This record gives sequence, C-alpha cells and structure tokens, in this order.
Amino acid sequence: MTAAEQPRVALITGGSKGLGAGLVDAFLDAGYRVATCSRSKTDTVRAWEEDPRIDGRFHFMAADVSDRDDAERFVKDAAGRWGQIDVLVNNAGVAREGVIALFGDDALDQVVDLNIKGTVYVTRAASRVMLAKRSGSIVNISSIVGLSGYRGLSVYAATKAALDGFTRSLARELGSRGITVNSVAPGYLRTEMSHGLDPQQMVQITRRTPMGRLGEPQDVARAILFLTDPTNRYITGQVLVVDGGLTC
Amino acid sequence: MGADQSTVRAVITQFLARAEKSHDELTDETPLFGDGLGLDSLEAAELSAMLEDEFGSDPFSAGGEMPDTVGDIQAFYEAASTA
Repeated sequence: MTAAEQPRVALITGGSKGLGAGLVDAFLDAGYRVATCSRSKTDTVRAWEEDPRIDGRFHFMAADVSDRDDAERFVKDAAGRWGQIDVLVNNAGVAREGVIALFGDDALDQVVDLNIKGTVYVTRAASRVMLAKRSGSIVNISSIVGLSGYRGLSVYAATKAALDGFTRSLARELGSRGITVNSVAPGYLRTEMSHGLDPQQMVQITRRTPMGRLGEPQDVARAILFLTDPTNRYITGQVLVVDGGLTC
Repeated sequence: MGADQSTVRAVITQFLARAEKSHDELTDETPLFGDGLGLDSLEAAELSAMLEDEFGSDPFSAGGEMPDTVGDIQAFYEAASTA
C-alpha cells in the first residue's frame, strides 16, 4: 500500500464514552485510522485496543485537552505516528447544570476551559499539520442549546455558541488553504451527557421531536462523515443541526 | 533532514511555488514581509507549519523573536543546532 493509499486519519477528542465513542466507532467502521483522547481510559477504549480487526488503526492517549500541553501532545503524537491529519472532530466537552445566579467559579472554569480553550488548543495544533498539507476537515461539536438556549445550561450554551463563531471565522481563515470547518449541533442524545435532564424533561423533549425519539451517536456520526468526506470541498462555515427536527 | 542553508531555502522555495508568489533569488537579506516576499499572516503561518513539518520546529512559533528575513530563519536553525 502506497502512502497515498493509506487510510485517512481522524482525531476525535473525548472519544472514550458517550457521543465521542460513537464517533470513534463510526470512523473506524469507515476505514479511518483514529486517534482519540480523554482524561482516563474506559472499557470501551480497552476493547478497541484489543480488537485485532482495527490493529494499527486505533490509538488512545490519556490527555485532558483543557490543558494546553496535553492538547498539543495529543495532536503531535498522532501527526508523528501517522504523518497526517485529515479530520479533526472537536468533541470533548462538558455540561454543568445550574442557574447563573448560583453558578460556581469551578464549574465556570471547567466548562469554559474544556469546551472553548480545549477546542482552540487542539485546533491550533492540528491546523498547522493541515496547513502544511493544504488539506483537512474540522468539525466542532456544538449543540442546539447554543442556538436556542436552555434554562439552567446558560454557560454550556454560551460555550457552544462560541464554537459556532469559531467555526465561521476559521472557515473564512482556512478555506483558501483547502481546509473546511463546520459545526454539527446535536439535539438531545441518549448518552451520558443528557443524564442531567430529569425524566419529565426527557419525555417532553421526545414528545416535541418530530422524529419521536432522542438522538443516537450514529445519527451525529453520519452528519460528520458527510461533512468530512474528501469529496466535500465546498460546504464550510455551516452549523448542521442534527436534532430529529426539534428546532425546525 | 538537517536544516542547512540549502534545505531551509528549498522549503521556502517550495512554499513560494505553491503560494504562487514569485521572487528572483533568496538571500539572507530577503525580507519575509512587505517589499520582500510580501507574506501576509496566513502565509507566514503556512510557511511556519511547513518548516515545522520538515525540521520539527520553526522560528515563528518558538516563542522567541519573529523572523524578518530569510537569514533570520536560517539563523534560528543554526542556533538550535549549536545549542
């Protein structure tokens, strides 16, 4: 297999559980080499590491991307290992629930540091690899709450809206170098991130969703694979909502 | 690849070619910006990334003084090799 025929490389932050794990699965199924990171290793990660079917196509690094050095180490390790980064999915994020009047400083720092600064750290490092190759696709995982808001999630919503602004600016900045940048804004997913919602809220959300169910990671993965497909050289700077029609 | 004068200039020449920027001859005194190579900020970032990709480090993102000339880039690698 020549270098040109090597599988494409995707970096997915926060891929050890929830939506991120679903994205890692989807990119592995699509034949990519996938590097992911999270603060600690999960059983899901151990299963990938021991799976002979993806031998040499999966790499995990324990890293907290809200830490600048960790974020750069994660990107440089993957680029050094495989020599290229074709896709970056900035998935790592955290939601802390609470009304703003009582929102604690530690929670504020945690949400801003991971959701915004962590995304910027990883993107800055990965964009250098993509610039050198004049090619790449970046997807930032935002959220419909960044578009419509949600009571008790104001700080989380603010960070997700910030990512959409980051997406649009980067699309303008990097488009001339063959790099696309988009956001994917999931609705309410059946993952751990939605567990902060109480059962009544979940029922209400499901009832209001035209497709009649919560989202699955695979629903989001399909949108990301579409946006990062090498034949997509024209869709950039967009926020693609994947919410079963909830906000339509 | 070692960052000697010819290889550093080869990377700069490669960058100029793909950026479709023409320049007669590179000397140590050739300015990177303005009336020299006329790099804008994104072009400087791109050259920085290409240099890092080739040599593992680059003078634009190393945190020191930003290079102004082709010779400044060469001097960065010479200093690194003697450190």
